[in-house]
Amino acid sequence: MAPAATDTQWSVDYDTLRRENLFKNPPTDQTAYPSLAESIRPHVDSFNALFEDSKILEAGLKDIGIKSFLDGDDETPEQKRARQAEGLRPSKRNRLNVRVREIFLDKPTLPATNKFTTKNRNIYPSECRERHATYRGKLRARLEYQINNGDWMESVRELGQVPIMLRTNRCYLENATPEELVRRKEESEELGGYFIVNGNEKLIRMLIVGKRNFPMSIIRGSFVKRGQTYTKFGVQIRSVRPDQTSQTNVLHYLSDGNVTFRFSWRKNEFLIPVAMILKALVETNDREIFEGIVGGASSKGMQNTFITDRVELLLRTYRAYQKHSRFDCRSHLGKSFRPVLGVPADMPDEEVGTEFLRKIVLPHLGNYNVTETQDYDKFKMILFMIRKLYALVAGDCAPDNPDAVSNQEILLGGFLYGMILKERIEEWLRSFGPITRDYCIRNRAKFTDESFERDFLSRIVKRSNENIGHALEYFLSTGNLVSPTGLDLQQTSGYTVIAEKINFYRFISHFRMIHRGSFFAQLKTTTVRKLLPESWGFLCPVHTPDGSPCGLLNHLAHKCLISTSDLDVSHLPRTLVQLGVRSESSVAVEDSVVVQLDGRIIGFCSPKQAHRIADTLRHWKVDGTNNIPSQLEIGYVPNSSGGQYPGIYMFSQAARMYRPVKYLALDKVDYVGPFEQPFMEIACLQSDLVPGMSTHIEFTPTNILSIVANMTPFSDYNQSPRNMYQCQMSKQTMGTPGTSIAYRTDNKLYRLQTGQTPIVRPPLYNAYGLDNFPNGMNAVVAIISYTGYDMDDAMIINKSAHERGFGHGTIYKTKVHSLAEKDSRRGKSKREITKLFGFAPGDSIKADVRNVLDEDGLPHIGSKVKEGDKIAAWYNVRYDAASDSYVNVDDITHFVKYKDAEAGYIDSIRLMGAETGNEPLQAISVKYRIPRKPIIGDKFSSRHGQKGVCSQLWPAVDMPFSESGIQPDLIINPHAFPSRMTIAQMIESMAGKAGALHGHPQDSTPFQFSEEDTAADYFGHQLRKAGYNYHGNEPLYSGITGREFAADIYMGLVYYQRLRHMVNDKFQVRTTGPVNALTGQPVKGRAKGGGIRVGEMERDSLIAHGAAFLLQDRLMNCSDAQHAWICRSCGSFLSTQVAVSGSGSSRSRAAVNPGAAAAAAKAAPNQQRPGASSSSSAVGALGGVAGIVRCRRCARPAGFNDSRAEVWEDGDGLRYVGGDNVTVVAVPGVLRYLDVELAAMGIRMKFWIDN
Amino acid sequence: MSREAYQVPSMGAQNAFGTDAGFGGAMAVDNPSVVYLCGECSARVPLKRGDQIRCKDCGHRVLYKERTKRMVQFEAR
Repeated sequence: MAPAATDTQWSVDYDTLRRENLFKNPPTDQTAYPSLAESIRPHVDSFNALFEDSKILEAGLKDIGIKSFLDGDDETPEQKRARQAEGLRPSKRNRLNVRVREIFLDKPTLPATNKFTTKNRNIYPSECRERHATYRGKLRARLEYQINNGDWMESVRELGQVPIMLRTNRCYLENATPEELVRRKEESEELGGYFIVNGNEKLIRMLIVGKRNFPMSIIRGSFVKRGQTYTKFGVQIRSVRPDQTSQTNVLHYLSDGNVTFRFSWRKNEFLIPVAMILKALVETNDREIFEGIVGGASSKGMQNTFITDRVELLLRTYRAYQKHSRFDCRSHLGKSFRPVLGVPADMPDEEVGTEFLRKIVLPHLGNYNVTETQDYDKFKMILFMIRKLYALVAGDCAPDNPDAVSNQEILLGGFLYGMILKERIEEWLRSFGPITRDYCIRNRAKFTDESFERDFLSRIVKRSNENIGHALEYFLSTGNLVSPTGLDLQQTSGYTVIAEKINFYRFISHFRMIHRGSFFAQLKTTTVRKLLPESWGFLCPVHTPDGSPCGLLNHLAHKCLISTSDLDVSHLPRTLVQLGVRSESSVAVEDSVVVQLDGRIIGFCSPKQAHRIADTLRHWKVDGTNNIPSQLEIGYVPNSSGGQYPGIYMFSQAARMYRPVKYLALDKVDYVGPFEQPFMEIACLQSDLVPGMSTHIEFTPTNILSIVANMTPFSDYNQSPRNMYQCQMSKQTMGTPGTSIAYRTDNKLYRLQTGQTPIVRPPLYNAYGLDNFPNGMNAVVAIISYTGYDMDDAMIINKSAHERGFGHGTIYKTKVHSLAEKDSRRGKSKREITKLFGFAPGDSIKADVRNVLDEDGLPHIGSKVKEGDKIAAWYNVRYDAASDSYVNVDDITHFVKYKDAEAGYIDSIRLMGAETGNEPLQAISVKYRIPRKPIIGDKFSSRHGQKGVCSQLWPAVDMPFSESGIQPDLIINPHAFPSRMTIAQMIESMAGKAGALHGHPQDSTPFQFSEEDTAADYFGHQLRKAGYNYHGNEPLYSGITGREFAADIYMGLVYYQRLRHMVNDKFQVRTTGPVNALTGQPVKGRAKGGGIRVGEMERDSLIAHGAAFLLQDRLMNCSDAQHAWICRSCGSFLSTQVAVSGSGSSRSRAAVNPGAAAAAAKAAPNQQRPGASSSSSAVGALGGVAGIVRCRRCARPAGFNDSRAEVWEDGDGLRYVGGDNVTVVAVPGVLRYLDVELAAMGIRMKFWIDN
Repeated sequence: MSREAYQVPSMGAQNAFGTDAGFGGAMAVDNPSVVYLCGECSARVPLKRGDQIRCKDCGHRVLYKERTKRMVQFEAR
């Protein structure tokens, strides 16, 4: 009998033995935490969709189609005119067709050049992490080419190596069981969904984009700037091709009633009169267009003169173009857009026009092999858009809000990856053009030449940039999108982030994160950041950071799903027709409303019918009858006065959000999308049900919260910002990033040594398997103002608790010490190696070095390293071909040093070889372990946004104690509560206490208590049962006097997190240290040992306090104070100079200027004496420069009758007299610098020196 | 002497080793071979300097340095 499948049901229980067993024997069938795996599905599935069933890349190749190139030269207009004058046909040019037929992406394997590994040539993700390499597979494409109408020839080209997402269908771990994952050195619950690029875990974050295939009415002031007569009204549709790339089409309303069609192509914008598009799409006439917009002659729409006037004008103004037939219009479009579409020169204009319509106009309705029906669909859609635009202008419908999730969908990482891949391939094919032309010109060749066919692969394709893999690796490592088309996206950078594994909450949040786009971050208006009711159940209202990304960086609610493939809805149009949808329509929405499926107009029906159809479809959908897929979104927008434009809009495609709710009629699960939700009646609680109106009910109200927000206990009792803070802080907690820490090489990894499972937690805690990643400790917390050391959010830790390991943590830092130059990371041949690890063979090594380093020149594992210690030895080598070895020439050993200020231990050393397996040691990866026990100044927080800093480690003997002898681990101040209103922390305290006393976990799911059934009562009773005070407080005795406190103290168990902000990473203090070379002032930056600036405002406050000495110390003495010579007479720094002691005796001079000599003694260290002769230095030792400084400006050249005692000499030997009224002053160095700068501008500064 | 053998530390851990090397003396062996552990199969891989980095058994490309056999002790402060 096969063993029972791994149980995946979890409750609030501790399940200690079950979890222990899971750790000891990782399941060999399935993960025990399916909901955790479910949470990252959108990432993995979107990547899988590229190659799997949905074959998104295949669709992309079809959209690229065939690229054609012609030989010979293009005709210049003059040549063309001359030729046409002669009546000749254009000369026949040969055509080269190229296309990519297929794309293959292999799993990561060793290169063929590696001949050493025979058994298992797979490269697993853990190896890439350990080697700081990229997890990537070979990308190949089947390139087909054809000359004229000859046979297609093919070649499979290698396009470099592209990064591969973990646990996708191109990864070895796709279906790996926990047991296998552990064997592959992964976490037993490894989720995948990210890439490994240069050893970093990178993920493409989800981005919000406009809802696909839905014409949105928009009022935007900036539309007016498009040109004259443009108004703020527009209808915009983001049309998505089968390959998930999109093309936005906009209809603009002009003030005269006209409509233009706008699109952007290769980052340029173009405007076309809409009538031309309409007439180009199908063979039509003005009447058909008129009736298509307004409705039949007998319909109610005819009476709407607002519309009829405008449509008439629309058609009348178009007459000016004189293009009526489909052929004319297509030719005209083709002629206009030929230069930008990149089509071969010999393609007729009409075909270019067809190509234009295929690629740009509503490509979601027909992207390749466009049929007449599809063109007619596009035609109908544009008519509908015009109708909606006129309704918007007339005020009959409201604009759609592009900031609401109902009009948004999600750009998934895998799809973006596919879009870039597709675009790169298209660019690669395009690049053949110039290379071919160049080849033909160089060799005077024609495509029909035999040599051309021979040379095509070797001389043309080879010359193109085939390394598409590099482009994708660049994208993932930088997040920058380099794209000639812009991919219809609003930003060029910030697409990828590092999936930091600070703790597991942080890690999992990255995959549930949705960004609005960095474009909106710069927006001054805050409307985009608003929390809208439409987000209910899709985006978590709590889990968003505060500060600049607030409201732009959201997280998915934990039950929110994202579709990654299109549903099969091919039969749906027939079903709809059977339900009474017909094709006749009218502009009057009270007569007929539209029925759309994925942006395709199925038909129209009356509003009454629409309601019935929507209800019927929903019933069938939930019931599973009539083949309606359960994930279909049936957006029924009812008629209203001036509300959203009515109709039934159904969506079945990928990238939609949807979530489960209960359908009351059938008591079954129904999936609801954001577009339909605002018009549905979904009750939140049983008490919200309105008979006859409510159709759905939430499974549980906690479904609206994200994974992390759900972990805040009793969050409904907190003031809402506190829950937001907690979401932030849980992601900065020093927790447990995982169990495979030994195989991880993150730059910095935090680990809590003494993590515990919280006593108070929701059942979801277990469902998401968070006990595998403990994030904090249960602490006995007393809320009391005890010593004064708990003021202002400080907290006192019991020293004994500290010694028992409370909050002890470790930081792991991994550093790569590489001998190779930074830029050339790999691919070095034997000869190019110039350095090797180890001691130089001939060098004599000191014993102290030998004590620190092993014989291989690497440190001993487990040894302690301090700043400046030697980490590794290396020496220069030259490759000696004769002996096939490396010889050292200079006998010098160099050392790599440990640079961090904090001492650490060598945890492990990895020797990183090359993929080819034939390179000597060029890089080592050293993991340092830095123990961090809690010290004063480290930050802690409860789970309620109540952070505090450890202010004292208080001896246990002096801590207060209760009647049962329990001492608090932690003391916090009662003042932390009144203003912050984190009642949930008090409840948690009680619940934790009761849970600990009874030995059972407490369910902390929010929204389970009410005014009638209070939490305080529930847990109070439990406490009373355990013999404790019902209210959770108890008498406490002073640890110092031993007397009972006058008040009972509220004491209980609260789960505390240790945050990663620790004083050891933050403290910044200096008296002296590095200074700026130019100004002499301290440098800034903690890393450089700089100071903290005492700025203007700090200065102001010091002045106000009268703290003159402090100011003097900060701004002068600890900064750039210096003693400088200045001339009292002319008041200048610049004219003083050192007199060379020439003939006169220094003693006499000292007598002349005794004050100056004394000052000079002080200034000596600051004086530079480049020209001082050695003879005077003996004397100079006393007075620095021997006290001979003179002002050159006040001096005059010495004459014959000047006393020798008064004459001085400058460096050039010129003799002067006078200028001896100089003195030394203490000034800031920048003052002299300012003087010099001003002097350079011809401005003199003069100082009056008193006394 | 073999580096595997346990030595009584003389003054703390830091100078437990190298008593036989002497000050300024050259390396005992000019090209010592050091044993590493394969990251895949945990085989013991002796390597000399300049050797290609890979496991001799399975060809894996990440090798770990063995924990030192010397006594490692620190002042507990």
